[in-house]
Amino acid sequence: MRLVQSYAAKKTVLEAARDRIAFVFDHYESIIVSVSGGKDSTVLAHLALVEAHRRGRRIGIYFLDEEVVYQSTIDQVEYLMTLYPENTIPLWLQLEFHLTNATSSTEGQLIAWEAGKHKLWMRPKRKGSIQHPPWDREKQTVRDKNKGFGFYDVIENFERCYTGTAFLVGLRAVESPNRWRAMVKNPIGVGERRIYWGTQKGANVALYPLYDWNYFDIWRYLYEERVKYSRIYDLMFKKGYPITEMRVSSFIHERSFKSIVDLPEFEPKTYERLLKRIKGIALAQETGKAAKLFRVSKLPKNFRSWIAYRDFLLKTHPDPERRPIFEKRFARHLQNEYVARQQCRQLILNDYENNLPVDNKPDPRDELIRYYDEVL
Amino acid sequence: MIFLGFTDPEKDAEIVRYCADHVIRKVVLFSPEKYRFPCSFPEHEHIEWSEIIKYVFYYRLLQEIDGATLLVINECLRTQNRHELTYNCLRLFLNQTPHKLIFQYLPIIDTWDDFAILFDLDTQSRWKREKIGADRLGESIIRITQVSLDLHAVPVDAGAKTKAAYAREKTKLLAEVRGDPAKDPHNIPRNLYLMSGKAKLGCIDPGAHYIGRNNRFKLSNLQTYKESSYPRAPYTVFEFCHNFLDFSDFLALSRQTQLDVLVADLKVDQWYFERYMAWSRRLRDAYMTLGRVP
Repeated sequence: MRLVQSYAAKKTVLEAARDRIAFVFDHYESIIVSVSGGKDSTVLAHLALVEAHRRGRRIGIYFLDEEVVYQSTIDQVEYLMTLYPENTIPLWLQLEFHLTNATSSTEGQLIAWEAGKHKLWMRPKRKGSIQHPPWDREKQTVRDKNKGFGFYDVIENFERCYTGTAFLVGLRAVESPNRWRAMVKNPIGVGERRIYWGTQKGANVALYPLYDWNYFDIWRYLYEERVKYSRIYDLMFKKGYPITEMRVSSFIHERSFKSIVDLPEFEPKTYERLLKRIKGIALAQETGKAAKLFRVSKLPKNFRSWIAYRDFLLKTHPDPERRPIFEKRFARHLQNEYVARQQCRQLILNDYENNLPVDNKPDPRDELIRYYDEVL
Repeated sequence: MIFLGFTDPEKDAEIVRYCADHVIRKVVLFSPEKYRFPCSFPEHEHIEWSEIIKYVFYYRLLQEIDGATLLVINECLRTQNRHELTYNCLRLFLNQTPHKLIFQYLPIIDTWDDFAILFDLDTQSRWKREKIGADRLGESIIRITQVSLDLHAVPVDAGAKTKAAYAREKTKLLAEVRGDPAKDPHNIPRNLYLMSGKAKLGCIDPGAHYIGRNNRFKLSNLQTYKESSYPRAPYTVFEFCHNFLDFSDFLALSRQTQLDVLVADLKVDQWYFERYMAWSRRLRDAYMTLGRVP
């Protein structure tokens, strides 16, 4: 067993990924690829399906449908599910679960695929999808009871339905140091080898065969293999999005609500349905990138300080259950303008889960003023 | 191809030479208005920098630019944001033709990273997400007429009265900025710097020409940094501007490289002078990096 991570210097990342996938097929009977409809999971699913086809094996293609996603995402997942039907076990989950809605304080959560609201759903459920929890309801776990049964709860409970299964995930290390750390910090032993691109997940393993790919490797693969990808990327490119912001995910959580701004241009019908589905969408569409509202980068003129603005937002917070969560969290923070601005962002985006953590440190503006005081 | 430090006639000569060597039907020149220069190629069109993103130009150009179009990107290093929308529009135009010439007087606005913007434009943005080092520069043909900037301080005595007023103003500005989070701390040096103006008035030579932030003293021999031409070079720096881009514009339009700078014995004047000295060193370092192109 090797103790240090090593790279094969003369291999391309594509050759390495193909080797890794072949290795997974050699060592695991049960393989499931998680897909989101994005470019990375498209490449991963394609690589795995090609290998499954070559070996005459069947693998699961697993998609957790958040309902409020681009129609292009749905089209893309449909494409992946039907690419090699004889080698695919479709695992399209359309279950009821809670999603944070960052666009509205009065309707802070969306219950995706909520029973009784089928007339408001973004689209009808797909024939053949998994519409009832396949796990034992009595053993179902929930991370945060305040929030309810959420996105990660579905994933965890679903994964526990399996044992000895390899879940392939299209994470790439270059996207952020946190992702890199999450992937490589706990290497696992598989057969004789020590695998740095995987982690143990209960009775299963999560493996990241594309962990060393860069974004251009992804695009080159899609181009050279003539693999279809979500058309949203083309629209984002035409619109001049930076590469880091070209993301395909749910519309309404704290990190992705900005996509609503361009949604009427990209997919007008999806936007129309979203308007009817949940509150806050029209406001997010108009002001999702506005400095004084959702970006929270400029102080509204009615307030003299971010601290005053934060206090106002806290005092007038419409949800009495969430307000104490914020109050308790903010009590542990420093009292300065830099921190207060971030607290305002959490309040505006209804981030009671602390997904956008506050950088709790002395105000850099104060440092700058001190510097000018000294040198001038 | 990137050309640094070329004059307008040299730019035109390069365009003519390029058109003679290639099958070019039309030349499209993107340029800020103040940098526009006459083009000898008969079939040409000027597009102003601020108009590049306008739909009326953008969509028409996307339709018109083809493999027989030469795109000239002239003095378009206008912002340090590598992902600025105008740069993105230019990228899309550049994807439609292999013919491009990029002219810029100085290689940077403030830091070496700015050069990556020019490099992206010349290389189909293949390394748009990466930092650009000397090892990568071989991907682009770069021709350089180096600008060696020489700043020379001319000391000015501010006098006790101005120094006392300066101390009062500094206390006032600090209190204002501390009391109002909407106020920009960078306004402290900007505003304090204006204090030394009166002291410098005593050193003004009526026969010389000066460059300053604004003409609040109504001097006939002082021009500001916002003008489109500087025909009366050499200029003495009455006061620096805060933004390096404005100073770069002044250097590009005046072609002056040796500058006397009035520096009063106030701390803010020293601070500004040191700030520009450091900038000129960064500029020199950028040329050194460019000189190491493999």
